[in-house]
Amino acid sequence: MSADILPVATSAQVRAYARRLVLRHPRALAGALLLHALAAAAGLVGPRLLGGLVQDVADGHAAVDGIALAIAGFVIAQAVLLRYAYYASARLGERVLAGLREEFVDRVLALPLSAVERAGTGDLVSRTSRDVGGLSSVVRFAAPEAMISVVVVVFTAGALLLVGPLLMLPCLLAVPAIWAVNRWYLPRARTGYLRENEAWATLTDGLAETVAGARTVEALGLQERRHRRADADIAGSWERERYTLGLRLVAYPVVTMSFGLQVTATLLIGGIYHVHGWASLAQVTAATLYVQQLAGPVERLLDQLDSLQLGGASLARLLGVATVPADRAPGAARPRPGQDAAGTRLAARDVRYAYRAGHDVLHGVDLVLRPGERLAVVGPSGAGKSTLGRLLAGIHGPRTGSVTVGADGCEVPLVELPLDELRGHVALVTQEHHVFHGTVRDNLVMARPDATDEQVHAALAAVGWDGPGPDAVVGSAGRELSPAQAQQLALARLVLADPHTLVLDEATSLLDPRAARRLERSLAAVLDGRTVVAVAHRLHTAHDADRVAVVEDGRISELGSHHELIEADGPYAALWRSWHGST
Amino acid sequence: MLRGIGWGVLWMLSMALAPAVIGRAIDEGVAAGDTGALVRWSAVLLGLAIVQAVSTARRHRLAVFTWLGAAYRTVQVVTRQATRLGATLPRRIGAGEVVSVGVSDVSHIGDALDIVIRGTSAVVAIVAVTALMLAASPPLGLVVLAGVPLVLVAAAPLLRPYHRHNRRLRELVGDLNTRATDIVAGLRVLRGIGGEALFAERYRAESQRVRRAGVQVARSESMLAGAEALLPGLLIVAVIWLGARLAVSGTITPGELVTCYGYAVFLIHPMATLGEAADKLTKGHVAAGRVVGFLALEPELPDRGTTVPPSPAALADPASGLVVRPGLLTAVAAADPVDARAIADRLGRYADGEVTYGGVPLRDVADLRERIIVAVNEDVLLSGRLADTLTGGVPGRDLAGAVHAAAAEDIVDAVGLDAYVVEAGREFSGGQQQRLRLARAVAADPEVLVLVEPTSAVDAHTEARIAGRLGRARAGRTTVVCTTSPLVLDRADHVVFVEGGRVVAEGSHRELLDTEPRYAATVTRGQDRDRIPDGA
Repeated sequence: MSADILPVATSAQVRAYARRLVLRHPRALAGALLLHALAAAAGLVGPRLLGGLVQDVADGHAAVDGIALAIAGFVIAQAVLLRYAYYASARLGERVLAGLREEFVDRVLALPLSAVERAGTGDLVSRTSRDVGGLSSVVRFAAPEAMISVVVVVFTAGALLLVGPLLMLPCLLAVPAIWAVNRWYLPRARTGYLRENEAWATLTDGLAETVAGARTVEALGLQERRHRRADADIAGSWERERYTLGLRLVAYPVVTMSFGLQVTATLLIGGIYHVHGWASLAQVTAATLYVQQLAGPVERLLDQLDSLQLGGASLARLLGVATVPADRAPGAARPRPGQDAAGTRLAARDVRYAYRAGHDVLHGVDLVLRPGERLAVVGPSGAGKSTLGRLLAGIHGPRTGSVTVGADGCEVPLVELPLDELRGHVALVTQEHHVFHGTVRDNLVMARPDATDEQVHAALAAVGWDGPGPDAVVGSAGRELSPAQAQQLALARLVLADPHTLVLDEATSLLDPRAARRLERSLAAVLDGRTVVAVAHRLHTAHDADRVAVVEDGRISELGSHHELIEADGPYAALWRSWHGST
Repeated sequence: MLRGIGWGVLWMLSMALAPAVIGRAIDEGVAAGDTGALVRWSAVLLGLAIVQAVSTARRHRLAVFTWLGAAYRTVQVVTRQATRLGATLPRRIGAGEVVSVGVSDVSHIGDALDIVIRGTSAVVAIVAVTALMLAASPPLGLVVLAGVPLVLVAAAPLLRPYHRHNRRLRELVGDLNTRATDIVAGLRVLRGIGGEALFAERYRAESQRVRRAGVQVARSESMLAGAEALLPGLLIVAVIWLGARLAVSGTITPGELVTCYGYAVFLIHPMATLGEAADKLTKGHVAAGRVVGFLALEPELPDRGTTVPPSPAALADPASGLVVRPGLLTAVAAADPVDARAIADRLGRYADGEVTYGGVPLRDVADLRERIIVAVNEDVLLSGRLADTLTGGVPGRDLAGAVHAAAAEDIVDAVGLDAYVVEAGREFSGGQQQRLRLARAVAADPEVLVLVEPTSAVDAHTEARIAGRLGRARAGRTTVVCTTSPLVLDRADHVVFVEGGRVVAEGSHRELLDTEPRYAATVTRGQDRDRIPDGA
């Protein structure tokens, strides 16, 4: 179907963004790094002092109390520094995270109209929930852990160097093995974990579907099929889990072994140095303890590399939203402010449109709306009615041809108007009547943020609002509105927005007849004095309209008043007769 | 799982013994200048590393198996329970709750089993190391024995504010996600009519609130991190201090001092595991409780009948006075759509009633769900290959005929029968979904098919086509259509008009139009759904 998935940013874009992100708070970052460095340094004094203590004990002249007190002092210093280091980096992380998600929402809110209409909301919802969530855990845990690990590794290596440069040599033994296994592991792990997460998503989606469709499953006897689906999803997940497990079963032992080798080598070679008098007992002890201590942070760092990679993938999907090209380039021209009707005329000329290149769904449509008229668009599903409606509302720009607003001589294409201006001319009303979480007023003033209380009350009164007052909280977690009230709210929004032309795309088709009757009155208030294009389900809409456009196969095949078309005895007349019985 | 515990114990012990070996190597090798002893102890140390490498892999493998086994099994039983409950499910429990059982509770249960393995090895390791230290030096052993629980207990008060702040953060994050999802779900409306700045502003305000709550969590978390360094650190210092005094007095060797230090450092890890175990076991217990609670639900109207009704059979609903004659297409037009739905629910025994099928009460009818299918607009299209979605994966169904009857050829032609239908058929428009659902119901070809408003979302052209084709596709079978569409009513074999929950008139569409003004009013009103008023 036409649900193009939104783009994903390239890795170069992700890297550039991550760099900017890191450098956005340079002082906070430097402060956190400094604190972690000091904490790491304080943590490294202990083994050094212990090495000295062992030497002194072996030599038989130890100032035990003093050294123990000193070690205690450094332990306390390390703990205090760690506390502030953690706090500083977490605070920075929260700031970065807040910036990230706010920017993402800004980007979503700036998505081109045509992309929003086309992409559907599923992909965006999953980016909003799954990717923002995934990135949160990266920023909260993985990134600081990795940063701390690097600091600790660097400082431990530095301490080792201070103890004795020679003693560093044995620990280099493990580096090639660790490096090699990670070069092998990381790229595989990245795809492996992505696939694993996909499989989990499939598994949980399947369960959610079974639950949401429990009635359908019972009605159509689909139990077996759902069981098979769950079992198949489990099998798929199992296969992917086994793959990543296999990767870890290679990487973990190699890393563990490398550290074992490293410690052993330091001890063995250090011991030999000592025998030859190249290193003191204190140096060998301290070096061995340092090398042993190195294992923790390196392993943690390696662990986090996976998460960081996954975070990169999430970030790419979040940034991708910003890479959707703009669908309109506002020009300077404005239609003549139309007090006179002719100034606000909407016209489509030789319009063609394709969702996919080479597959036009509209083939050269010409349509000039008369100001103030009611035009009904009818025709079979898939003929292009809704597409024509979206073009007339300026959501999509035509592939060729033009949709303009304005009087002869100063017509401006809709897609060259800035959004605010466009919304003042024409609005699209669909079946989708989302009630936003917030007050009734919030749900209205979005159309005109500077609206006064009187205007809000007037708009509500115009649609015959019978729901809760303007300050009541509605939407998810708030008071639930009936479908009819949701629709009234949508109409009241339109009253506030006050465009001269409305495109109604099956706007009231989901309502039961009783609700519809009341809404008709609300609708009348909104439609009064405006040009209306109604993409219609029911032929009575056409009957009551000033003109009817029959759209078939992407063309307007018939255009005229109901009576003209009945007299013309074309396809419209045939349909009317079959629908209306003998009359 | 026992094998997992075995490998876990081996893994912990191989780590626990490393300090002892290093101590020996320092004493007998390095300090004594004995290269032979040094090489021997180094070899032992390397041997321990090999044991550790092998056991860490084996342990991890078994832990993953245990975790996944628990998770998969839970998903399986929850899925089976959901299908067993069927139409009862939405009445008894929120969908979100069940899904959270399947998603987050699954991982809590897996975590609980995993921590049993690691926790057991931690206990064994702590006992073993304490025993070794007691053997090496009773005073040192006693310090560790007393110190470990002390360290665990001392950090506990810090956990409470941390958990409290974390809970609050989670709530706020949940609210923030709801806000974001709300924006995304209403994005078309928002972009169509404006208000981006307003919503961005509001989101930013909530996001900043989450940030502040996050900083609060970080504050208590950082206290915890500090305590986690401080408390074991002080224990280690105590061990070193005492050890060094013992070493100076000659009670223990310098190598044993290093060993004691190593033990004390090592013990931090299993101690932390024990703390983790308490938390995860609690969560696992709560999660398991929720799963068990869900599994205990029983279907309200189970399909357990055994009587095979005669064929062809009439369906009678005494509550409304409706009698559906076999082999015909009966249309039910109700002044209030709620009545039509109630009748449909009774005819399919989704609501209890006195309905009989061929004289047999529905509760006694064998294979009721196979004989009578009630298709409503809340039914969902299930994801999968389009052909499988429509046939339910049952081979031999007349798919082409059903697609034709539902006037859905254009959809099938456009995407192909092999196209993948995403969850709930989201990518199809409302009208397309409705036609696909209709095709699916027709393809199932039951003895009785009850359709509720099957054409409410399709345009008049298509509705006309469906009205003509449905009767032909169901020729000889019993069909009930609840509708107020004149196009469909006109093509029905028999029309009943329902008002106030009772059948008040019967006949053909034309007869009723002529003789029953209330019927005419109902049907005409139906036509006027999106009629554009004449304005001023």
